[in-house]
Amino acid sequence: MTDANTQIKETVTANDVVLFMKGTKEMPQCGFSSKVAGVLNYMGVGYQDVNVLADDGIRQGIKDYSDWPTIPQLYVKGEFVGGCDIITEMTLSGELDTLFDDKGVSYNKEAADKIREANA
Amino acid sequence: MVERIETRLREAFAPSVLAVVDDSEAHRGHAGYQEGGESHFTVKIVSGAFQGQTRLARHRAVHNALGSEIIGRIHALAMDISAE
Repeated sequence: MTDANTQIKETVTANDVVLFMKGTKEMPQCGFSSKVAGVLNYMGVGYQDVNVLADDGIRQGIKDYSDWPTIPQLYVKGEFVGGCDIITEMTLSGELDTLFDDKGVSYNKEAADKIREANA
Repeated sequence: MVERIETRLREAFAPSVLAVVDDSEAHRGHAGYQEGGESHFTVKIVSGAFQGQTRLARHRAVHNALGSEIIGRIHALAMDISAE
């Protein structure tokens, strides 16, 4: 197991919600990362952001870890949930709320509803 | 590149709806933009082949159909995948 792999495993195990992204949650550096971070920020989800641009080992390592070729990647309780398209779809359908409910992740339900109203 | 993506997806999924758009120009100046375009794509695909698959499985099937050579060359691929 590579160092990056070990580091990724530790990060997604130690934190309930982890977003591997380009840039940081305060300053995303890619539109797709920005979109997912924006949803989580707006929904008031506590999450660990990992800037893949700051570490080439992680940048490649996360793609191998999840067998998924693109960034961003969202993990909840150690499980890979998806990238930007999937998170967007799940937010709008309410599946993301259900996932957070099931996994015991707290979030602002009203904010989630507002996102759906705005995109109805 | 659009034709290559379309061909791969047609062969793999025999879709009833398939639209591949190169929207690289909309990303001029952004990370990943390359001169000449062919960096950012949007795919809409509808195929019975995705019936019963989870979102992750659908996306993975498309990644596999495109292959690492295409995936490695483009910067972004936004996908709207659904079954019939």
